[in-house]
Amino acid sequence: MSIRGSTAIIGIGETPVDRLGRRPGERRRTIPEYLTWAARLAMEDAGLTRKDFDGQGLAAIYTTNYLQPFWPEETASILGITPALSMANANGGAATVSALGQAAAAIQAGLVERVLCVAASCTFVENHNGAEPRDVRDFEVPYGLMGANSGIALVMRRHMHEYGTTLDALGNIAVTARYHASLNPNAYLKKPMTLEDYKTSRLVADPVRLLDCVMPANGGKAFILTSAERAADMPRKPVYLMGFGEQDNPSYGPRTHSDATIMGIRDAGARAFAMAGVTADDMDFAQLYDDYVVIEMMQMEDLGFCEKGDTKYFESTDFSFKGTLPIQTGGGMINCGQPSTCGGMIHILESVTQLRGDGDDRQVAGARTGLCTGLGGLPYGKNLGSTAVAILSNDNG
Amino acid sequence: MAEARTEPRRPLPEITELTAPFWQAAKEGRLVMQRCRACGELTWCPRPSCVECGGEDLEWDQLSGRGTVYTFTVIRQLAGRGARAFEKDIPYVIAWVDLEEGPRFYTNIVGCPVDDVEIGMKVEVVFDPVSDDISLPKFKPRS
Repeated sequence: MSIRGSTAIIGIGETPVDRLGRRPGERRRTIPEYLTWAARLAMEDAGLTRKDFDGQGLAAIYTTNYLQPFWPEETASILGITPALSMANANGGAATVSALGQAAAAIQAGLVERVLCVAASCTFVENHNGAEPRDVRDFEVPYGLMGANSGIALVMRRHMHEYGTTLDALGNIAVTARYHASLNPNAYLKKPMTLEDYKTSRLVADPVRLLDCVMPANGGKAFILTSAERAADMPRKPVYLMGFGEQDNPSYGPRTHSDATIMGIRDAGARAFAMAGVTADDMDFAQLYDDYVVIEMMQMEDLGFCEKGDTKYFESTDFSFKGTLPIQTGGGMINCGQPSTCGGMIHILESVTQLRGDGDDRQVAGARTGLCTGLGGLPYGKNLGSTAVAILSNDNG
Repeated sequence: MAEARTEPRRPLPEITELTAPFWQAAKEGRLVMQRCRACGELTWCPRPSCVECGGEDLEWDQLSGRGTVYTFTVIRQLAGRGARAFEKDIPYVIAWVDLEEGPRFYTNIVGCPVDDVEIGMKVEVVFDPVSDDISLPKFKPRS
């Protein structure tokens, strides 16, 4: 039994992001404050209160900045709710999209009627305990690993080598996202950017440039999912989950040396499209997980928006909200900040905004169906380790 | 005793029951990996079982130490926790070397200017003794 069209998002909440805490002693908010704030905004949006989440589902998202094994229980405690089902997702940047699929399955199975998915992080501080995958700690860090920058740089250079990827192609994606950010009141980086700005930004982990990278931030985000039947009686226009797919620890070739230019999103996407009964051509927009610009490009290839390595497509396509394939219509995570694993939820929230017709100056005209993605983790010698795709629509027919 | 301006300590791997044979071999100047006696495939990083077939009968096998640069990055700026220990090395090269026997190995390319490194470059292993117990396998251009 498929979960196609059986659930809908009925509320979303997003706090502003900030970068407080970068300097020692700087006054800042903590994770519980962003968590509570985001959950309240989502509940208000849905016309619900905390009481409506007693005996219901809670999807808690582990953040890299506060690794606490009992995090789902602490989340419930912070919010003052008493869940009948706690789901915890630790798929990194893929976690919130992954949780969306799991929440839908739980609702369809009748375990609960609604699920609150909430995530928050304070990137600069909190008691990071330094836990890392053993492969990374023992066999990467001693060689001078520089966070995700160095991991993506390895993937990016291989992609450039195999496909002749150009800075013009990458830059078109980066500039379009910044343009959309300038139209989004909730974005963080809004200053217009030119192709030249992108191409001349400084190299941090060659070939990764400063303007390829997402920016750490503090913030919280939340969404509320319920059954399609119940959604019909709620105040906001329902946004239905039509397709979902996930692929974790992907390998394309031998597991010890797989093709690093192919992403698990290829298989996650194929599953999501098959469930929804649509193809890439049917998408009115794509909100792509964007820790780095090249990763957006590789997802578009692997989701079937173009052939692998079609540099001309990326150089010449209008990706704006008025264009042939609108992407990152709110500016994406690169321009709205990345509060750790909470950051990826921005693509779910922007999809809902578009499908409600609330996109204001950046609204995709007549948007009916679109997709959002999540990606997480950089395993040893491979492309990203957790991948998830959700296809959302304002019509569940 | 005053310890003024100590250098940040370099992160070192933990030697465990599973990884001890690898680090012992590295200390002796040999690159080894686990080979599955059931299917014959190599497994890397160290695992309790073969990642291809699940077999648990693994033996440490010496490799040629030769490989090819699959991809690389030149680190030009610090990023992330614990990064400061490598500040003095900048610019330096992190690479994925595909070994002749198959597995991909995360490493540094040493023994040549950073600008000389390229994808497809043929390299061979050298061992960098970073502590009494740990010699990190790194790679240099093969003549």
